[in-house]
Amino acid sequence: MLSTESGSASRRFFYSALFWLLLPGLMGLTLATLLYVPAVYDRLPLDLKPYLSFGRLRPAHVNLMIYGWLSQAYAAAILFILPRITRAQLFSERLAHANWWLWNLMLVGAAVTLPAGLTQGREYAELIWPLDLLLIANWVLLAINIWGTFARRQEPKVYISLWSFMAATLVFVGVYAVGNKIWDPSGAYRGMNDSIVNYFFVHNLFNAWFTTAGLGLALYLLPKLVDQPLYSHRLGLWGLWSVWTGQHHQLNSPAPDWLEYLTVVFSILAAVPTIAFMVNFFMTMRGRWQRALDDVALRFLATGALFWALTCVQGLAQSFRTFSMQVHLTNWVIGHSHLAFVVDYSFWAFAAAYLMVPVLVRRPLYSRTLAEWHYWLTTVGMGIFMVSLWIAGLIQGQNWQTNSVPFLETVRSMSPYFALRLVGGLMAAGGVLCFAYNLWQTARRQASFVAVAPTPAAALTRGGGR
Amino acid sequence: MKPGLVYLTGGSLISLLLGIIVTIILPARDPAALGPTALARPYTELELRGRAVYKREGCHYCHTQQVRAPEANRAMVHQAGDIGPESVPGDYYYQSPVFWGTSRQGPDLTHVASREGIGKNEGWHALHFKNPRAVSPGSVMPSFDYLSPGDLEALIAYMLTLE
Repeated sequence: MLSTESGSASRRFFYSALFWLLLPGLMGLTLATLLYVPAVYDRLPLDLKPYLSFGRLRPAHVNLMIYGWLSQAYAAAILFILPRITRAQLFSERLAHANWWLWNLMLVGAAVTLPAGLTQGREYAELIWPLDLLLIANWVLLAINIWGTFARRQEPKVYISLWSFMAATLVFVGVYAVGNKIWDPSGAYRGMNDSIVNYFFVHNLFNAWFTTAGLGLALYLLPKLVDQPLYSHRLGLWGLWSVWTGQHHQLNSPAPDWLEYLTVVFSILAAVPTIAFMVNFFMTMRGRWQRALDDVALRFLATGALFWALTCVQGLAQSFRTFSMQVHLTNWVIGHSHLAFVVDYSFWAFAAAYLMVPVLVRRPLYSRTLAEWHYWLTTVGMGIFMVSLWIAGLIQGQNWQTNSVPFLETVRSMSPYFALRLVGGLMAAGGVLCFAYNLWQTARRQASFVAVAPTPAAALTRGGGR
Repeated sequence: MKPGLVYLTGGSLISLLLGIIVTIILPARDPAALGPTALARPYTELELRGRAVYKREGCHYCHTQQVRAPEANRAMVHQAGDIGPESVPGDYYYQSPVFWGTSRQGPDLTHVASREGIGKNEGWHALHFKNPRAVSPGSVMPSFDYLSPGDLEALIAYMLTLE
């Protein structure tokens, strides 16, 4: 249960992340189907209906993807990277296994409570109080392993990824505690402030955790996969975040105007770390683009980075009150959130899995062809998914602004776009099935090669990393 | 401690703390949020149960409860301008959690009980919850025919508070 074998916890986290990708993925397909053909729902047996109701299934889909798939894939990658960039043993493999059990206990809890309608009713912060506490405990345990491995490092140079993981876990625990009012079992504040805190949390879940840790992950994978040192380690340190921009999720809302203007300013400033990362990315990739065509892992990483730039451009545009008025509350936003979540962060997680799982199980990847199918089905599928929702959102927004079309008419006009979204979603799901089957076959086949040597931080930076 | 560690820990915590002070504590002390408006009112027990059903069924994932300034009294739900007046902080004074929402797969509900044809018509709401497409052809709302009679009654009572 609590093995001390090096790398065993990372491996387990990858396996369970895969499970928590498939289950909420299926929920997502169900949701897309319900929006396109709502009549399907009318034919369900009455006993089943509550659990498949859109308003219950949506938070289950979102929470399991966030805290199940992506966060566990991050944890797996972090546990893999830590000993390699510090040239030390992981602080405690047993602790990492305990972390894995508690984490999955929390996810089983989420998978049961959310469809059952047990929720705090705040977006991304739906988990009920006992699960909130478990979640905090999980991040604290992960942080102990990160900070503990940092403390016993043999490598004098601290690579940027390690700083990112340390900062991400530290800040996220604070963000989660405040955002979920952890000292109150109801988990909600009162009046306007409840919504303000909710979107402080939503934004910083992405800023503090997925972006900060994700950039750490990307900056580890990039030099490793292109086999060339990171262009600038100093530039990498610019990739820190700002925690002030949450309110740009609620522009033109009843919240105070001064707060909205403030978040607009900070959203513009957030372009600085974005540009820093992109410069670093392009300069490190210089002369190595052919590799991205040959190597699926690098292609996932590079595609993710390019889409990340698009996410930031969209995010900046959405931070202006005029553009927000055009697209906010429409299906555009659903497209944007899938852009950030699937084609950026999840693509980086896919790249990590293709690099790390073969090393962890000491076997070569089962099939390159399946990996290619995974890449193309997911990329093209998500492309169709997002573009159809963006067009749908622009049409919706325009119809709402002209004040001349009954609302129901604008709902009906969504149908073709919902159909396209479902098609795109099915394609992406096909890609994910290729991914899952490929990793499963990789893990169960006979051992046939020796693991590649670990890469110390010195090899990832210029001039031996001084 | 090494300077790098001090900068990282200090920088992270200061950044988090400042973020909390400026974007959470200051707005909570904004004068606009300190008192209820005429639209805000304490809820009865039945209405609170209705709010709990609204939360449990996740109505807020598809319906907002916020009318933004540029669309106030202009945007169209059934008739031009019937989205109603702009929402202000005091309207939410007695609510926890609030249901501002981030997506409008269905119409905004801030002032649904003041809309012509629906308003306080409990029969309309009951029929709409049980079979949305019978009332609104083309609607994508799930049918809530599985709600217990008590839950349905409470939910409708809550709907009628959205004036």
